[in-house]
Amino acid sequence: MREPFPDRLIRRHGGASHRLGLRTLYILPSGFGWLWLLSCGVLFILGVQGSSHGALLLAYLGLGLFLLAPYLTQFNLQGLELRCGSPAPGFAGDVLPYPVQATSRDQRLALGARFRRCEGDLGWSGSLEPGQQWLAVPWRPSRRGLQSPGRLRLQSSAPLGLFVCWTLWDPPAPQLVYPARRPGPVLELDRPQTRERHQAEAGADAQAGGSDHWHELTPHRPEEGLARLAWKQLARSGERYAKRFADPQPRPHLLAPDPALPRERALEHLSARIWQLAASGESYGLVLGNQTIAAGSGSAQLERCLAALALAAP
Amino acid sequence: MIEPLARRLQILSLSLLALQLLGSDWASPLCWGSLTLVVMASLKLAKAQRPADLRRGLLAQLIALGVLAGLNPNLGPGLVQAATGLVLVAALLAQESGGGGNLRQMLNRSVQLLVVCLPLLVLLFLFIPRLGPPWPQAELGRGRTGLSEQLDPGAIAQLALDPSPALRISPAQEQDLPPADQRYWRVRVLDRFDGQRWRAAPAQGPAQAWAPPAPAPPGAAQQLWLVEPSPLSALPWGGSGVPLNPQITSTAKGELLGPWQTRVRRSYGLAASNQPPAWQRQAPARSDLDFAAGSNPQLEALAEGWRQQLAPAQRLAAAQALFQGQPFRYTLQPPPLGDVAPLDQFLFASRAGFCEHFASAFTGLMRAAAVPARVVVGYQGGSWVPANLWGRGYLEVLQQDAHAWSEVWLADQGWVRIDPTAWVAPARIQAGLRSGLAGQWADLGLLSQGLPWLRPLTRSWTNLDLAWNQLLRYDQFSQDALMQRWLGPFRSWQGLVLVLGLALALALAVWILGLLRPTPRQEQQRRRLDRSLSRLAPLNLVPQPGESLPAFCRRAAAQLPELGPGLERLQTSYERLRFAPRGQERARALELARSLGAADRELAAAASRLGRRPVERLQSPEPP
Repeated sequence: MREPFPDRLIRRHGGASHRLGLRTLYILPSGFGWLWLLSCGVLFILGVQGSSHGALLLAYLGLGLFLLAPYLTQFNLQGLELRCGSPAPGFAGDVLPYPVQATSRDQRLALGARFRRCEGDLGWSGSLEPGQQWLAVPWRPSRRGLQSPGRLRLQSSAPLGLFVCWTLWDPPAPQLVYPARRPGPVLELDRPQTRERHQAEAGADAQAGGSDHWHELTPHRPEEGLARLAWKQLARSGERYAKRFADPQPRPHLLAPDPALPRERALEHLSARIWQLAASGESYGLVLGNQTIAAGSGSAQLERCLAALALAAP
Repeated sequence: MIEPLARRLQILSLSLLALQLLGSDWASPLCWGSLTLVVMASLKLAKAQRPADLRRGLLAQLIALGVLAGLNPNLGPGLVQAATGLVLVAALLAQESGGGGNLRQMLNRSVQLLVVCLPLLVLLFLFIPRLGPPWPQAELGRGRTGLSEQLDPGAIAQLALDPSPALRISPAQEQDLPPADQRYWRVRVLDRFDGQRWRAAPAQGPAQAWAPPAPAPPGAAQQLWLVEPSPLSALPWGGSGVPLNPQITSTAKGELLGPWQTRVRRSYGLAASNQPPAWQRQAPARSDLDFAAGSNPQLEALAEGWRQQLAPAQRLAAAQALFQGQPFRYTLQPPPLGDVAPLDQFLFASRAGFCEHFASAFTGLMRAAAVPARVVVGYQGGSWVPANLWGRGYLEVLQQDAHAWSEVWLADQGWVRIDPTAWVAPARIQAGLRSGLAGQWADLGLLSQGLPWLRPLTRSWTNLDLAWNQLLRYDQFSQDALMQRWLGPFRSWQGLVLVLGLALALALAVWILGLLRPTPRQEQQRRRLDRSLSRLAPLNLVPQPGESLPAFCRRAAAQLPELGPGLERLQTSYERLRFAPRGQERARALELARSLGAADRELAAAASRLGRRPVERLQSPEPP
């Protein structure tokens, strides 16, 4: 996407840290600044036409403030140091915070930060107290992989709003972006495909079984009710037994992208499935081409699998 | 997001604007324009959802303030206007600073900004070339008080009841003014008579304006004149002197005309001149002898007798003898004269009246006796208000000093001022209206005195007001004179001087604002800590990146145990200071800052003791 004027004329500043100074700050009158200047012009004409010194003095005061404003606005940003944090991974399509550490000796008023590529009104705004502070600048990546959010624009128009002063910086640390979570079919390598696909599409739980799949029989006690009564045994032997159920030990899921689907779509389905399995505490593994991640569970397994999906060859 | 403080400040500024609107001249369309702007800004503020709404409302208020500054240029409204400007800037700061401050901080900051802007303001005011009005100025209303274009029976008596100021004259010192009985301030010359009323001949366009006055001689004594709004376009003056503003011209009749609208307060300077005024030698027109023949038969018969027997100067003496010999009486409540032969009625029956009756009857007599004559209306007298702490002294002339007198043409002297009122009531001319009415309790009862205890206060205020107007009387011509004096042959460098001056003033303003920048308490504490820790730098004890204060203190104490107690105290004091609960910082800051200071001294002493030891001891031990 082409950057708007005048940012596209400004050369790029990279580097892990970015200090705001005369070489990295840019300043122009804001829309309100132009209106202010116009009002001063109106006051000047009023003063000249009506021979009114009051209106003239007011016009000159407005002009004086306008002349002073760029310095005050620049001083609100000058000396601020930005440093890249370690961005936490997230899913494509979600709003991700990009951490930026701001170090300042002075108070900084009414700042706003946003990534230029970001659409909508996603951005961070606030004031900074002296010392170090973390800004979580939101952005919304559209693709998986190691993504860079692009150019960060940090701006301020404080304290008078007549000028807007800004800096542009390309924070170098990329953020790991997992494929977007899109529910859909995935390939389970150790399960019948048709049933698997059917179940996935239906969105049903893979838990099979019914009232016949009991684990053992124990003598029935009246307080256990009729629901657990083993009717077949009662009919055969005339003795009352209660069915004892046990959860079947789930088998680990070994997941792979569905070859029938486009690659990116299949990875997005996998991302959703892995997220779902991790949430329900199940065990899962992943096979991506010749890369295999053994079955496991827990947050480390989740990060490992999602990172593999994020970095998988297209 | 709209800051609540910014909204409150805008409500305050709107209230101040409404207050000024209440005291404005509602006859002026500009006042209604200003009201419209204020109403629009109020509605915008009430419905404001975004900061942009607030900003536009603020600009509307700024323009309304400029309009009101033009309508009410006096010092009192000027102070309210300055306060409104201050509140508007504070509202802007409150909105644009993201809510980081309370009302007092915003007003403080606003005052700071306006103060550092003052040099810029003065430079722009002095150096930006003055322009004349780009469009012709419309007559936008009538003055509140003032003289009339014609001499109506009772008109001046009405004015005599008005104790408000009409004009002020500020000479360098009182001695520069003429003596009390010679203080005649002419405004309008009435030279047409219809048998009942005197009125001015219609103006005949700019051609009527007489030769432009000669440039003021350098070093001549100057008078500042400040005239309250009046329906007359003619300006009061003593009849001699050179206007400092070349746009002010004198007519052949000796009326001073300025470039201003009449509804505004006017201020101008006059330089003393040794030359006799040219209007005094301007030969009379035929119309200066016009008299409505047959309108006042008794007067005409008397004058005819004088005309046949006496020389013009003797006719004057005969008139004086008439006024002084007959029982004429000065009163503000004369009997009505009626519509038929009013001058006959006055001269031969009632013989009671005030200045306009005397001037009117005398001028009529002179014209009927073939002596060119005319009536002049203006002011006479005034009271001297000495200079005080607030400003220079001035002569205050009130509306009740309004007066009418005559001028007659004597071939060898030109136009000569004759005041028949002085023949009848000399005290009126020498000591003012109140003295002229001495003993006439019914007349004195009509005069309003105002509150006596308020008088010194209002006079001090007027001194200040005069100083303010002296300052504001800086026009195109004052600018030319000033630039000529300051820059001399480098007059064309005015623009360069302005730019350089602005650059200097900006640098000064930025430097002052940098000094005034508030340092948060936490930052002050951090700087004190840094200063204390810097004492350890010569001992190779420098905090490592990411090292916390307790960790650093432990490491330093392990390395040099002598520093242990000082460091522990420093750490404890600093942490307590930083973590003081909100609202208690002030109460505890002093105590803790003292404790931090003690820790710092302890540390300094220990560091100094250690610093004197051999260097080997201070080397950091090798890590195991």
